[in-house]
Amino acid sequence: MAPVGDAVSIPELLALPFLQRAMLAGALTGALGGVLGSFAVLRQLSFFSDALGHSALLGISLGVALGLNPTLVLIPFAVLFALLVNHLVERSQLPTDALLNIIYSSSLAIAVVALSLLPGYQGGLQQLLFGDILGVDGLDLLLVTLLLLGVGTYLLVTRSSQILLSLDESLALSRGVAAQRQRLVFVVVLAVVVAVSIKAVGVLLISAFVVIPACAARLVSRHFGGYVLMAAALGSGGAVAGVLASAFLNLPSGPCVVIVQLLGFLFALVAGRGLQGRPA
Amino acid sequence: MAEMILEVSGLTVRRRGTTAVENVSFSLAAESDTALVGPNGAGKSTLVQAILGLLPHQGGQVRLLGERLDGRGRLSASVREQIAYLPQRLALTGPIPLTVTEFVGLGWDGTRLRLPWRGEVRRRDAIHSALAKTGCEVFAEQRISDLSGGQLKRVLLAFCVVRPRRLLVLDEAQAGLDPQASEAFQQLLFSLRRSEGWTILQVSHDLDMVRRTCDGVLCLNRSLRCSGSPDHALSQAQLERLYGRDYLPYHHHHGAGG
Repeated sequence: MAPVGDAVSIPELLALPFLQRAMLAGALTGALGGVLGSFAVLRQLSFFSDALGHSALLGISLGVALGLNPTLVLIPFAVLFALLVNHLVERSQLPTDALLNIIYSSSLAIAVVALSLLPGYQGGLQQLLFGDILGVDGLDLLLVTLLLLGVGTYLLVTRSSQILLSLDESLALSRGVAAQRQRLVFVVVLAVVVAVSIKAVGVLLISAFVVIPACAARLVSRHFGGYVLMAAALGSGGAVAGVLASAFLNLPSGPCVVIVQLLGFLFALVAGRGLQGRPA
Repeated sequence: MAEMILEVSGLTVRRRGTTAVENVSFSLAAESDTALVGPNGAGKSTLVQAILGLLPHQGGQVRLLGERLDGRGRLSASVREQIAYLPQRLALTGPIPLTVTEFVGLGWDGTRLRLPWRGEVRRRDAIHSALAKTGCEVFAEQRISDLSGGQLKRVLLAFCVVRPRRLLVLDEAQAGLDPQASEAFQQLLFSLRRSEGWTILQVSHDLDMVRRTCDGVLCLNRSLRCSGSPDHALSQAQLERLYGRDYLPYHHHHGAGG
């Protein structure tokens, strides 16, 4: 994170190209997290996205150890890791949350030890953990834009199947939904989104991007379409507001974004009481 | 000769290394209402899920509306569309941002891609009609997670009735309902069966209800122990054979409508 000096005026601040890129990256990544998160949360995959985020550090350390670009290694690593974890969750008799906890804490521990043994990478650990949204470049923006379009199209096309799977797997199967295939595709998409968003958001905060806007929208939404759009808007708006707040207040950007999203969630928590309390 | 909607022959299902259902054979004629009864762990839910292809089976065969269920539980879309399934309960945790109308719409859409410019009027009419038939209009704009157990069961019936179906399979649909709600649900099911021409297979523990409303009974305890009319299959001797010598009949108390 490169803090912007407080002596700069607001128009000057907004004219800075790296800050414009950061706001755009925040808007796109936030929308992506919100859209995908709205389905992931209903399918109780919040913890899964957390495990994927933490494991990303292991992928990065693998890339560094092999002398390859960590970002290039991260996507295939995240996909393979997601498929492996999905397989373990389906086969294991342990509760899913306990299994995911073991996986994410151990992968984080192994990755931190591995990175500390690799010369010259200790300094980058903070960026990996909390992200560097101010450091995104044109290629990152292009990648997130393409991913947002791809994920949006996929979820729109499979909307009915995704909702039925979120409600009850046997009901979905009875309507002809290929549940296992849909689950695998969803997990792969989630892995790719997490891998691509890590640079901007960081390993520790990525799951907040997926979970917080969706949970906030869930509390105050009645219709499904409105829920997904609201999650995207909260994710996107929260990210832009967070980047701006971090620039004005000279604070780390990733945590600022998550704090803004948290405020949105708290607001929804209060506003959602009215909706929940209505008699059926 | 009556049309056969479901034909099961020699069906065997294994789950987690044990045989849950063994060599079960029966058939259901069109517009019949058959109950599947048996003690807990008898394999009733496993049997209905295997019949619908939700679980794989290891032996025997199932024909639904004349089409054979393949080894991977697949059916053609046209046959699948004519079959509806009501699970014991929907695992709704927390608020679900989906209204009753939207949920019933999913029963119309199935796995199809919904295009707003194609067939939208027909879809909307079918949803309104399903809501009216099941008495769900008053809470049509409520979230499904805000409904009572009885209302949710009616919404599930609306999900089924939104398209013409031939076979309805219910897995303990009355589980968790109080006697009044259970009676109301059964009356609605009975009236829909007649108006829609449904063939029904329902897993049930309510033997009083089975005696009053069903035409046939299948008694299952891993294998099929007996079958026939309620008077025959639910006689004290048959029930003792099914549930054990200590079986004591429990009578549910139903409202005046019963």
